[in-house]
Amino acid sequence: MRTLEFRTVTKVDEALESLSQLGDEAQVLAGGTDVMIQYQRGELHPATLLHIEGVEELQRLEQDGSVTLGALVTHRRVSRTLADRLPALSEACATVGGWQTQEVGTVAGNVCNASPAADTIPPLLIAGAVVDLASGGGTRSIPLEQFVLGRRKTARAPDELVTAIRVEPLPPGAGEVYLKVAPRSAMEVALVGLAVRLQLDQDRVVTDARIATCSVAPVPFRVRGAEEVLVGSRLETDAVAEAADLLRAAADPIDDVRATAAYRLKVLGPLLERAATIVGERAGGATRWS
Amino acid sequence: MTTVGTRSARGDGPVKVSGSAMYTVDFSLPGMLVGLVLRSPVARGRISRLDVEQARRIPGVWAVITAADAPGHRSGLAIKDQPLFAVGAVTHEGEAIAAVAAESAEAAQAAIDAIELEIEPEDPVVDLDFAASDDAPLVHPDWANFEAVGEDFPRRGNVCAEMLADPAGVDEAFGRASRVVEGEYRAGRQYQAYLEPRGVVAEYRGGRYTVHVSHQFPFNVRDRMAAALGVRPSGIRVIGHHIGGGFGAKLDLGIEVHAAMLARAAGRPVKLVNERTEDLLTCQCREDAIVRLRSAVDAEGRVLARDMDVLLDAGAAATDAPFLASIPLLLAAGPYRVGPTRVRARAVYTNTAPTGAFRGVSGTHLIFALERHIDEIARSLDIDRRELRLNNLKEDGDALLNGQVLEDASILREAFDRVEEVAPWQTLGKGELRGVGMAACVWLTNPMPGSVVLKVNEDGTLGVVTAATENGSGAVSMGISQIAAEELTLPVEAVVVSMPDTDSAPYDAGSQGSRTTHIVGRAIGSAAEVLREQIYEIASGLLEAAPEDLELVDGRVGVKGSPGADVSLAEVARAATAAGKSLAATGSYATPPPRFDPTCATGLLFPVFPTPTYHVHLAEVSVDPVTGRVTVLRYVVAQEVGKVINPAGVVGQVQGGVAQGIGYALYENLEIGRDGRYRQRTLETYRLPLAVDVPNVEVMLLEHPDPAGPFGAKGVAEPPVVPVAAAIANAISDAVGAPINTLPVLPGNVLDALDRANKV
Amino acid sequence: MELTFTVNGRTVNVDVPGGTTLLDVLRGSLQLTGTKEGCVEGECGACTVLVDGRPVDSCLYAAHAAEGRAITTIEGISTDGELSALQRALVDTGGVQCGFCTPGFVITLTALLEENPTPIEDEVRAAIVGNICRCTGYTQIIDAVMETVEGGR
Repeated sequence: MRTLEFRTVTKVDEALESLSQLGDEAQVLAGGTDVMIQYQRGELHPATLLHIEGVEELQRLEQDGSVTLGALVTHRRVSRTLADRLPALSEACATVGGWQTQEVGTVAGNVCNASPAADTIPPLLIAGAVVDLASGGGTRSIPLEQFVLGRRKTARAPDELVTAIRVEPLPPGAGEVYLKVAPRSAMEVALVGLAVRLQLDQDRVVTDARIATCSVAPVPFRVRGAEEVLVGSRLETDAVAEAADLLRAAADPIDDVRATAAYRLKVLGPLLERAATIVGERAGGATRWS
Repeated sequence: MTTVGTRSARGDGPVKVSGSAMYTVDFSLPGMLVGLVLRSPVARGRISRLDVEQARRIPGVWAVITAADAPGHRSGLAIKDQPLFAVGAVTHEGEAIAAVAAESAEAAQAAIDAIELEIEPEDPVVDLDFAASDDAPLVHPDWANFEAVGEDFPRRGNVCAEMLADPAGVDEAFGRASRVVEGEYRAGRQYQAYLEPRGVVAEYRGGRYTVHVSHQFPFNVRDRMAAALGVRPSGIRVIGHHIGGGFGAKLDLGIEVHAAMLARAAGRPVKLVNERTEDLLTCQCREDAIVRLRSAVDAEGRVLARDMDVLLDAGAAATDAPFLASIPLLLAAGPYRVGPTRVRARAVYTNTAPTGAFRGVSGTHLIFALERHIDEIARSLDIDRRELRLNNLKEDGDALLNGQVLEDASILREAFDRVEEVAPWQTLGKGELRGVGMAACVWLTNPMPGSVVLKVNEDGTLGVVTAATENGSGAVSMGISQIAAEELTLPVEAVVVSMPDTDSAPYDAGSQGSRTTHIVGRAIGSAAEVLREQIYEIASGLLEAAPEDLELVDGRVGVKGSPGADVSLAEVARAATAAGKSLAATGSYATPPPRFDPTCATGLLFPVFPTPTYHVHLAEVSVDPVTGRVTVLRYVVAQEVGKVINPAGVVGQVQGGVAQGIGYALYENLEIGRDGRYRQRTLETYRLPLAVDVPNVEVMLLEHPDPAGPFGAKGVAEPPVVPVAAAIANAISDAVGAPINTLPVLPGNVLDALDRANKV
Repeated sequence: MELTFTVNGRTVNVDVPGGTTLLDVLRGSLQLTGTKEGCVEGECGACTVLVDGRPVDSCLYAAHAAEGRAITTIEGISTDGELSALQRALVDTGGVQCGFCTPGFVITLTALLEENPTPIEDEVRAAIVGNICRCTGYTQIIDAVMETVEGGR
């Protein structure tokens, strides 16, 4: 059995140096809630665990125009501080495991883990998330949609570190929600996850719609066709039903130990109708849900 | 009474909340090795190659054992059908093939990895109906050579036990019935999911085995190990530690014997602890079952006759299934009056892990089937479901189908009334996608024997030496502690209960079937009678009074009518010791079997329900039409307990049992794939109910003291799990307007039922 | 690989391979067996400890991530055998049965009461979703918290 190196860094530069030296021999470790399970199950075989939890710069959570979530911002921090500006993401973070997981687990880690069922990805997608990466060679930013490439697969190069995720907070007059389907009320991997953000004008006409879903395809995704149908509507039954049809058509779920594909498809449409109702109530500021 | 009936704090509470309680997984011995078991990855196949030579050569490996090192015979609870290691063929996933002991976990794993194992897989027998048919391959081709442990019973091929009651008049009643209601009900397996995985520390010294366990039934470990190893029972010493939950799964022999064999082979102590997945795969889970019911009813909803056919999945070994096959007869009428009833129950071998005892054995799925069936009868006749039950309720003197008379069955009506007082039937389950359901049952208190030694220590405390096990229920740390304290008028803090040790404690049949408080409490009562005489004898000398003029008050021996003339128990104990006498007494008890009709059935290995108790449950639920999720809004229990020894303890048993029932009804899914392997293999996919999933259960305790029980107490802990899935499934069926006859009721099943309801 | 941190106020130094979990260090190297191993995948919470005051599943926490940190285990909750108010209440209400989950519950609930000394029932339930109890049905555990809160008023 080869010995595993545990390397703790406290500066981004140190992390980047390690990554350029080690490449894919290194596994970045923050809270460890995904990495340590996979390591113990033998699904990961790194030579080095690169522990970044002590990197102060990655703790930042900035709220100016956009919201910048440093790579170490935890689920609990999001759910405790961003309920107003990013309600759907807050709701999603509050469902990732229990307190113990949310306390150390990070949003960036959830994204990098690239699970088909990643709860944070749909709400990040509807918030136009951009992933900031750094390496010895410089920095770059990629829209989240282009970052997650497949199950457990991202566009991160082996020498790159995700430093932050930037998102557009809920604009005035908009509303959003994350709905997660599972038998129990907590500690679940989503059977289906759905995030919806809608902007309504004074006449309650939808001016912008964003819909993203997880657990119904290898990668969580935006459902642009369904979004387009809702724009210009007043969330009339027909419009929502048409969007639901498009959502269903875009999904490609599988049967697995948690649920059947048929169940996932069956739930999707009515779930969008429910989300549209909730967001319709939340949007416009009149009956703000909190 | 000063202690019995009070919310006295449990004796093991402080060590448990402070983390200092020693469970077997926490226990170590000097020089202890790490054990690991190599288990079959497939459900059925022939072992074509097994070579452990490489494994033996790995540094740090002290023992590698296989079937070649084990006694060749098989053993078991009812049928001697279980080998210690797979011999030639494997019959279920997780079957032990080899075991190793090494100086470190890494070396042990390396040894396991170095074992050369080849299995030629065969198609497993999985489907229950198929397994029971004549077309199925035999799980055990040499079944006919397996001996029964006691007197033999009807069994053939994959059917490892068949119980049949076929009274006269069934077919005739079906012929004249105005209506016949039929139903098929299915339930999945349920994993006990105690939080402490099964573990053992074993040593072999001077020709004797000592095993340290967290086990519900140490004397069974002793006896089953002795049978498996071919040694005399007293050649094995079983020492019990705190138990991190058992719920029936820690009643039969498991890895204890493998650890003992490793310790002997290695010449050093060995610790063997299951990993969680290994534990789940090899646990004797609650059996999956299919129940088929037909009832002939008249227009008023009287059941003129009934036909019940039950298939129980024994898995690849019979374990206790031949006993469980009797339970359908005892429950088929249950709390209600029914006409002649034919009951056939077959326990069937399959190529899956052996199933076994789980709190409320078989009752959970049988009551689910029977109470769903009653709801269906009510619906088909358009009679209110509660009214139908009340109209057919048993009364005092009515009998179960085995002929056993229930002298106090009218308690059932009281239980229904008590539920009605807090949860009026007509007001519940109203509104769209809300529903209400009820279920009732009669359950037993396990009658098996128990003995104790009571002794007054020289400091005036009362020692209770017993092999009764505290599985968490409080039966030892509250129940028998409080009973012992009450008997000698001591505060409960003055009672010191031993941990189980088969060398020093008298026999006890373990924590099963709610027996501990009832049986051991009664044994304490008998011992206390003798002990008090000994105390008065010694004290009479100290107090210069006749023994019959003495009394115990607040832990002191005094002269009746002479305040101030008394001595402490410590003084009496010291005086006895100085005089070369002892203050120690034994007491024993087993419930005498109630009378029944032995001709009522064949294959009836578990013929009676001693010390019956009565139970009515009510559930109110709501259903989410989008996701099919079910929320339990309200849960009400009326349970008859004889006498409450500790209200917090009794309520905790009811609430905990209901939570396990909610898990069984809604979340806990252990699917068996066509390959014979479980699909859910961790606690991530095998979902246990969480704090946000369980309501605050409303508990009403009915007290009808049992003259035979200690201070009137009957069994409490087992039955609260029994009617839960029935009540919830009835409530869900009510909410969606279509029958739900399969457990667990997963969200997808609820949506399907809603579709069915909407099509009608 | 060496590692130094404090556990229940004492400084400890151990030498374990990289990738070892904090749980294995606590139960193995340090023989602090009050912290329990239930599932090793973050489902049951029996292994919960406080890392700098925050509740964490020690089965999923890398031991070397604890370098320089302050760990509190169940052994550090009661001092000199004196139970905390919460521990006392758990014993009194019946919130303990088999007791195997109890250390994890005590740790999580201690963190809850530190953060929010007067939680309502729903907040208590939400705080313990990462802790499984198979025995009690949770109600008497929640009762214990409420008794502690009442006692603290």
